[in-house]
Amino acid sequence: MGTINKNEFEYDAVVIGSGHAGSEACLALARLNKKTLLTTLNLDSIAFLACNPSIGGTAKGQLAGEIDALGGEMGKNADKSLLQIRVLNSGKGPAVQSLRAQVDKVVYHNEMKKTIERQPNLDVLQGEVAKILTENKKVVGIKTAMGETFKCKAVVVATGVYLNSKIIIGDFEKYTGPNGFEASTKLTNSLINLGHKIRRFKTGTPARVDGKSIDYSKFELQPGDDSIQGFSHFKNNSFNEPSNSYFNNTLFNQNDINSNCSRIDNKTNTLNRVPCYLGYTSTAMHDLIRENIDRAPLYSGRIHGIGPRYCPSIEDKIMRFADKERHQLFLEPESANTDEVYVQGISSSMPCDIQRKMYRLIPGFENVKIMRYAYAIEYDCIDALDLKNNLESKIISGLFFAGQINGTSGYEEAAAQGIMAGINAERYIDNLTPVVLGRDQAYIGVLIDDLTTKDIVEPYRMMTSRAEHRLILRQDNCDIRLTKIGHDIGLIDDETHSKFCEKLSIIDKVNNELNVIYSPKKLEKLFIENNENLPKNGLTLHECIKRNNLDIFKIKNHFNLFENVNNDILEYVNTEIKYEGYIRQEKELIDKMKSIENITLPEIEYKNLSGLRLEARQKLDKFKPSTLGQAKRIDGVSPSDINVLLVYLKLKGII
Amino acid sequence: METIVALATPAGNGGVAIIRISGEKSNDILKSLINENVELEPRKMYLKDVHVEDIVDKCLVVRFVRPFSYTGEDVVEIHSHGGFLLAQKIIEQSIKLGAQLATPGEFSKRAFINGKMSLDQAEGVINIINAETEMQLKAGSNLLQGKLKDFVSLLQNQLTDILAEIEAKLDYPEYEYTDQESSDIKNRLSTIKSQLESILDDGKQGQIIKNGIKIAIVGAPNVGKSSLLNALTNSNRAIVTDIAGTTRDIVESEYIYKGIVFRLLDTAGIHESSDVVEKIGIERAKNAINEADLIIKLGDIHNINNIDVDKPFINVINKIDLEPNKIKKSKNYVNNNNEYNTIYISAKTGENIEELKEKIFKETVKHELKQDKLYLTNTRQINCIKTCLERINNAINLIDFSTLDLVSFEIKSAWTCLGEITGNDNNEDIIDKIFSKFCLGK
Repeated sequence: MGTINKNEFEYDAVVIGSGHAGSEACLALARLNKKTLLTTLNLDSIAFLACNPSIGGTAKGQLAGEIDALGGEMGKNADKSLLQIRVLNSGKGPAVQSLRAQVDKVVYHNEMKKTIERQPNLDVLQGEVAKILTENKKVVGIKTAMGETFKCKAVVVATGVYLNSKIIIGDFEKYTGPNGFEASTKLTNSLINLGHKIRRFKTGTPARVDGKSIDYSKFELQPGDDSIQGFSHFKNNSFNEPSNSYFNNTLFNQNDINSNCSRIDNKTNTLNRVPCYLGYTSTAMHDLIRENIDRAPLYSGRIHGIGPRYCPSIEDKIMRFADKERHQLFLEPESANTDEVYVQGISSSMPCDIQRKMYRLIPGFENVKIMRYAYAIEYDCIDALDLKNNLESKIISGLFFAGQINGTSGYEEAAAQGIMAGINAERYIDNLTPVVLGRDQAYIGVLIDDLTTKDIVEPYRMMTSRAEHRLILRQDNCDIRLTKIGHDIGLIDDETHSKFCEKLSIIDKVNNELNVIYSPKKLEKLFIENNENLPKNGLTLHECIKRNNLDIFKIKNHFNLFENVNNDILEYVNTEIKYEGYIRQEKELIDKMKSIENITLPEIEYKNLSGLRLEARQKLDKFKPSTLGQAKRIDGVSPSDINVLLVYLKLKGII
Repeated sequence: METIVALATPAGNGGVAIIRISGEKSNDILKSLINENVELEPRKMYLKDVHVEDIVDKCLVVRFVRPFSYTGEDVVEIHSHGGFLLAQKIIEQSIKLGAQLATPGEFSKRAFINGKMSLDQAEGVINIINAETEMQLKAGSNLLQGKLKDFVSLLQNQLTDILAEIEAKLDYPEYEYTDQESSDIKNRLSTIKSQLESILDDGKQGQIIKNGIKIAIVGAPNVGKSSLLNALTNSNRAIVTDIAGTTRDIVESEYIYKGIVFRLLDTAGIHESSDVVEKIGIERAKNAINEADLIIKLGDIHNINNIDVDKPFINVINKIDLEPNKIKKSKNYVNNNNEYNTIYISAKTGENIEELKEKIFKETVKHELKQDKLYLTNTRQINCIKTCLERINNAINLIDFSTLDLVSFEIKSAWTCLGEITGNDNNEDIIDKIFSKFCLGK
């Protein structure tokens, strides 16, 4: 006999949307012991990689690492579905080195779905949420389009690009989400009724082509790195390697990259065997696009949403950078289980006939077969200035937002907000103080601070140049920066935390060994071999590492030290020593910044504070920053405006 | 905000002393001072009796209503003819009526807060207030016109371009960073470097315009240090007697020559003394030597001065009036004997004093100053430029052997230093530049 229990409809929290933000949010909530419901328009869209089959990249690799260090899932999930991984910018310095992985988009979805399904405290339900229910400006539940009502104390809205989304290919338009998934058509109105401002953003994706129709000989091979490191710091099950401890060497070689591999072969698909390819557009292609530019929706006025400058479509590139004779493009495999290839660099919303012609004008694509057309997509998102720095609505208590709905772009940006929204929704329910990461602690901190204090006028992508303290926010120290915080929050379990503490004590031991003074005689051979001037007096190994031609690995090999210590740790120690002076300067800057960062601003009628420039007055009245630090970062508020505020606060006796 | 009061004219016995009161209470204070409950028409001078204690003085008074005033607040000015003492009494009375004594520069600060001027304009005003010479005035008003800001903005924009190029390569690793680009950036940094150096060089001149040049006169007791000081400044500021050791304290005095202020630090005679008071004086004399830009080693025809100093100095031999036949010889010394940098003078008769002034000028100022040039006179700004230059130098040194993240760190720091002068430290500018200059992304 079928029965319905009343408590089937009662949750602590509901997460709307199962993309990269929603996945992290629901896992964080459930892992923090909140009874959680994940709703999604389509269960097959869980953690779907709608654009690149790739995780990481500059600044994004750091985000993925940070999510992992806090106890999130993205890093582990990417490690489980790796096709190829590389360290980017390896020659440009550790501060800007980032991991970038090609992942198998089918495996990525499957693995995340599995993790979510198996997570205790977490239920999953396919369906469209139509309304957020509130009482006295507080969340009390949600109502689905099918009419079911679920009670809850907190909601995380992580609807990605699905709100009233419309895809555009030339003259063709259709209200649909990516990849033929349904759009969500009702929730926008509910958000408007609650008092949220809605904006329309735009993004796009290139065509997927049949790998068998590509002449790879006309492309340049882009293999993965020889040695593999994953995103996750906690590598228990990520690889099929026995690496349960930091003492084990997690760097293992895959020297047998099959460079003849012209397309993905199921049998040879193991770590880092899958190559990408680099190619170029042609002038013929540019001419074709220029001749048909009136058929491009971007130029015919059909597209109204605001697109990102950092991700221009090919028609945009050609029109805006007319003097460039060719543009780079990359071929990325979508999955080991398909021949579809993603053509990075050639996103477009040209009509189908132009797309067919223009792709074939790429050298190597003479006979290419398009399997999915490139398209532009427009969608509703909120103004993130309506959010507090814990990602909760300023208007409705218990209503959290994460991901592309906040005006960002990118899987990693979404996941980063997802985990923070999940954590802070739990803290809201349990009446705990919010967790807000600083700009000096994490890219996640930079991201959320930017979103909630700056006027974001285009989809926001994380870049290392957005972080003022990037020498400290590195890929190699994500766990050092954040794992303790993850443990305090409760997402990092005690066992993982004790392994992390073990790592810290190994770092201490290594540093102690490096503080031993070696006599010039002992150093002689090492120094001569490496073209370094011999010191007159003894040096600590720490001092030796600072020499241009030396590093910790040369010292390790020469003196047979640190035999059981993992290379990750040595790399980290090496960077900290080489960059010591700069790291110290960064820390001084941070301290200096903090002295004004945390000055609380009282209620000020900025419009009457005529010492401020007009723009600053308007912006300050709009954003109502709670600290001077936030005020400082608002676009249109200049340092002299901050000086005015400082003088004002001093005259008022506040500081 | 508190109502503030202060003397707006220089302290001392001038003809008119202007007391300025700024803030909400200023009009009430005025009404109370003139003992009349009427609203005076703004920006119109009235002749009124001002009552302070039992004194009554006829003063010109004027009120300004916000925001049409220097500070942007309600302002009252009282032009008193009764000299400094009466002005002091009016200020005290205003304080009793609820005003606070303004701190130095506070009127300008308020003008700045109320949007009457920008930060570097405010700094320019402070320079004008303190301007003692015309040249100082000119340097101050150039700042007012925002010349400095324009020039520094230009340099900052060049750095923005360079940063955008580097950042694009860092955030988009698929775009290569070539040796050609690296050496191009190095060249552009070197150009910026030399421009900064010339600002700083001019800045030194600016400092000279603003602060003048400090000269310490040292010599044995009674060689005529105070007489020389008086001869240079045409005054009797230092006590002159025949008794050795009369000058117990450093007497600061100054004269203006070719538009430059020369500050003279008279010093107690340097010799071993058992007199405690004089010992303190000797200690201070040593400090004066440390502080001075130029030392005048004063001796007389009987006592050649052999004090060792490690600073630029001029040997001055005083009292040539006692041996008139040496005068001719001394003229030759002025012109020819540079080796010993010696000049013969008589402080008493004024013989060769003008020549000494010229010699001092040449030793210290070196170049003729041009009035229309951009002179940095503000320590804050000079420090910004100095730090910026240091950062640029670091960047140039790093560019060949270090990694791009550190080069970028140095350039960004340099960029921020200039931002402290121009008021622009908005990182978005760099990011905007990246996207406007380069075609990036998928």
